[in-house]
Amino acid sequence: MMNLLTQPVGLSHYLAVSAVLFVCGFLCMATKRNILGVLMGIELVLNGANLNFVAFGSRLLRGGTSDGLGLDGQAIALFVIILAAAEAAGALAIALNFYHTHATVDVDRAEELKG
Amino acid sequence: MTANSNLIPSLLGLAWLLPLASFVLIVFFGPRMGKAGKHAALVATAAIATAFALSFAALVLWLLQNPLSAPNPGGHAAERVAAESAKALSGEWYALGVFGPLRIGIGYYIDSLTLAMFCMVTFVSSCIHVYSIGYMHEELSEVVDPLAPLANGQPLRRRGRFCRFFQYLSLFCFSMLGLVLAGNVAMVFVFWELVGICSYLLIGFYRERTSASNAGNKAFIVNRVGDFGMIIGMMALWTGMGTLSFGDYRAVDTAGHRVTLPGIFSQVRPAETKHQLQVPDGMVKLASRPQIERIVLAHRRDTRTATAAIAGQLRGWRSQGLGYGLLVVAGLGIFCGCVGKSAQFPLHLWLPDAMEGPTPVSALIHAATMVAAGVYLVGRFYPVFTPEVLLVVAIVGCITLFLAASIALTATDIKRVLAYSTVSQLGYMMLALGLGGWLAGILHLFTHACFKSLLFLCSGSVIHACGTNEMPRMGGLLKKMPYTAITMLVGCLAIAGAGVPLLAVGFSGFYSKDLIVAQALSFRASNPPFGGLFFYVAVIGAGMTACYIFRMWYLTFAGEPRDEHIHHHAHESPKVMTVPLVILATLSVVAAWNLFGTGYGLQPLLEQARPVEQSIAHGVFLPGVTMPFEHEAHVPQIHTPAELVAFLAALIGFVLATAFYGVRKWDPEDARRTFAGIHRFLVHKWWFDELYSFALVRPVLRISGWVAACDQRGIDWLIDHLAISVAAVARFDDWFDRLFVDRLVNLVAQWTYAVGLRLRRLQTGNVRQYVMWLAVGTVMLFVVMSLYWNLALAAGM
Amino acid sequence: MDAVNWHTIFFWLFAMLACGFAVGVVVTNNIVRMACCLVASLGAVAGLFFLAGTEFVGAVQLMVYVGGTMVLLVFGVMLTARGPFVSMQTGGGQWILATIIGGALLAVLLQAAFSVPQWMAPKPLVPQAAPAPTAATLGLALMGVRVDKLERPDPVLRKGMSGYLLAFEIISVHLVVVLVGAAYLARAKRALGPRPIGLGGRSAPPLGAAQK
Repeated sequence: MMNLLTQPVGLSHYLAVSAVLFVCGFLCMATKRNILGVLMGIELVLNGANLNFVAFGSRLLRGGTSDGLGLDGQAIALFVIILAAAEAAGALAIALNFYHTHATVDVDRAEELKG
Repeated sequence: MTANSNLIPSLLGLAWLLPLASFVLIVFFGPRMGKAGKHAALVATAAIATAFALSFAALVLWLLQNPLSAPNPGGHAAERVAAESAKALSGEWYALGVFGPLRIGIGYYIDSLTLAMFCMVTFVSSCIHVYSIGYMHEELSEVVDPLAPLANGQPLRRRGRFCRFFQYLSLFCFSMLGLVLAGNVAMVFVFWELVGICSYLLIGFYRERTSASNAGNKAFIVNRVGDFGMIIGMMALWTGMGTLSFGDYRAVDTAGHRVTLPGIFSQVRPAETKHQLQVPDGMVKLASRPQIERIVLAHRRDTRTATAAIAGQLRGWRSQGLGYGLLVVAGLGIFCGCVGKSAQFPLHLWLPDAMEGPTPVSALIHAATMVAAGVYLVGRFYPVFTPEVLLVVAIVGCITLFLAASIALTATDIKRVLAYSTVSQLGYMMLALGLGGWLAGILHLFTHACFKSLLFLCSGSVIHACGTNEMPRMGGLLKKMPYTAITMLVGCLAIAGAGVPLLAVGFSGFYSKDLIVAQALSFRASNPPFGGLFFYVAVIGAGMTACYIFRMWYLTFAGEPRDEHIHHHAHESPKVMTVPLVILATLSVVAAWNLFGTGYGLQPLLEQARPVEQSIAHGVFLPGVTMPFEHEAHVPQIHTPAELVAFLAALIGFVLATAFYGVRKWDPEDARRTFAGIHRFLVHKWWFDELYSFALVRPVLRISGWVAACDQRGIDWLIDHLAISVAAVARFDDWFDRLFVDRLVNLVAQWTYAVGLRLRRLQTGNVRQYVMWLAVGTVMLFVVMSLYWNLALAAGM
Repeated sequence: MDAVNWHTIFFWLFAMLACGFAVGVVVTNNIVRMACCLVASLGAVAGLFFLAGTEFVGAVQLMVYVGGTMVLLVFGVMLTARGPFVSMQTGGGQWILATIIGGALLAVLLQAAFSVPQWMAPKPLVPQAAPAPTAATLGLALMGVRVDKLERPDPVLRKGMSGYLLAFEIISVHLVVVLVGAAYLARAKRALGPRPIGLGGRSAPPLGAAQK
């Protein structure tokens, strides 16, 4: 247990956290009937991916060797954040529209595109 | 140029276009004009009557501008010996196309001949239009035509074609006036064909009758033969002179200057030779091409000197007679067309058959105007004709004159008698023209138009009353139809040339026939060895004319009725028909008279248009032929004997007819039996139909039958079998298509459809399910990838 | 016994927070609670970013996500959170299915994360190589200048390292377009009936529709 606290953390730990976040996001998307819940799941998934990018780009976690993504990782993380913000805005607008037209936020009711 | 001189073409142009307007109106609105198109007749008649008024106004204007030359005391027209060209107005209204020096357009060439023709055509047409209103009234209601039986033996019943008739008449008037007015040969040709079409349409007016449609076809086809020659003549003219225009015309040359280019007449009769016939430069150059080639080769460096050298040589070549042949060809070609249209000797067969048309049509087209168009054209082209061509014209006219007159002697159909008489009189005109008697021929054209239309209208009146054409079934109609009988008698006297010799007073035919016979006598004097032949034929023709025409009159009107039924039903025609008869009868008497006490009349008027006579009228190919001056025939030494001989011949003919048919002193049957061979020969029209049928028609039919057989047995067989094989291939294709291609396509479509139906279930529209599938896919991807990843790692180790 | 590695301790702290709140988002059914948990989770992830030495990205995460996005989300939650929609249950079967698939996914991901030994434990930090603040470098890179690649020995590689100017521009435009589109989509529409043709979308709605 002490070992866990004294050992420096590596890339794998970050990846594990990101995996947990990702799976949580996935579960959110898969189980929430509320459209906003689905949106939150998407945010979680994006965050997990972001954490991956940052971890791979971090010099600290790679012990000073800059074989990883370096600055690219951070830049991509930045872009992902921005795109996520944009996506959130768009998705929310769609959700509101859906709410206006269907008077509900239940995604199971949005099945007009059913084959 | 005064304002008036511009007015004459406008007046005539208007007179020319009025019948066209009437035609167009009747085409579009005819059936709606009154009951069954009754008022179409009024439209057509009004148009042609207005045209006559306009033509007459133009004639008066012309006379004001060009006063007739002083008459001589003898009553005959003054001769214009002075070497001046005929007065004429020529111009162009609209140029259809300009091809180098050749201009094709709608132009006019107006001299006193044109004006006289205009007045004559429109006047006769007006009379005949009025007459037709009465004659064609049956066409207003449904017509039962027993001459056109249906397959079941019932007579044909059809709708009346009253307005159609007047529509054709208007079109014909337009075409005929256009032909007379035309300023160039191309336009002449166009209207030439147009009158042919009208003739065809009107001959076949009762088109349900086989004989009528055959006659229409015959007229059209026979005319084509002549027109072919005319096209050759036109091409010769164009090649040799570069223009088809009669008169001079203004044009803009390549340098931009306004120049006056010489027309046909100026080229053939240039002013520098005092209007004597001269082979045009173009024809000389064409004929002397080898010499020109040599000159051009010699002057290779300088085209200007070469041109000058050629110009210097032209006179010499011309005197050698180079190019003369082309001029002869041009003249013969044009005459060929006239032979067809005027039903002259080899092509005379169509005119008698053309009597299948309604009688007013026969009067207007096949007696007075259209068939005279050939004579008119010969008169118009007179300056171009060389003595050789004129001799051919004379020979053709001579043969036609005798041939047709002899057939007319035995014909029993009243209209056929008149038809052969027409052919014969046209032969007279041709004879006169060919012998140098321009005025004689043209004057006869006019007088003939008057009395022949009168005769035809009278015969129409008779036919209208009797319902038959056959003279042996008539007789004794004088009491029943006094107007018709008297007017017809006037016509007969006119055509026979009745008059008082030495006093020079007579019916119109008297003057023209005298002129012709005198010209023939004059020709005999100039050409001793053979020239007499024409004179004898002309005299015999005069006798035959009197004989057949009075035979016709006697058979129709005199004696006892031969068919009581017909006689009983016969009646005088209504006023609308008899009034034109009276008018035309008056005209038949006075047409050739000068106005009392003055020299004004038809002859001096026509005299104005006379082309300049040639001083040396010897041909190059036939130097023995001399064309006498026409005024030479007017000297008493020639004129008086001719007059007397012609009168005597006509008298003999009249006496013979009277003896046989008038007083029945002799029985015609006796004569028939005595001259059985000749009679049969004449009844069969000299076997011409049989000859042509044997020599031309039947070979053509046989060849075409043979070709048709080739077509049917050979080519059709081939094509049929080709089609059958194609059909077989197509059937196989069809089978293959259905069995394989279609089935394959259907299979693919069905399969796709089924797969789509299955896959459709996956598309639930449930977002969460999609996410689930996404995740499953990712996991599967990982699993699959890790397999290879491990392998790759293992390989890399 | 080594000294306590504060980096590690904080890592675990933030990792636990992030994962715990993320699980909370999944587990709870109340939409408001979900939003709160998500905010907390995202904040913890921002802490992880700080720990990874990327303080600028962490700051952006806090500001944009936790600040901006969450405001937006909460706004949406408030707008739509009415009685029956606040908590919507999902069937147990779906839960089981999702858990199975999610577990499989997690297993795969974790297996991948721990499969590379070099990633497990980094070499000890070299003191002099302590990370410099990245904000300036990042900003320059967005402007097209890659100062972090200047020390690259390979001249070809150095040349090829361009900045993110183009991507930056594209994303800027994209953002504007998306926001305008979102504003258009989300604006309150009263007109449900068909619009008059030919007058454009901005014409006044029909009277009958306006009264609904």
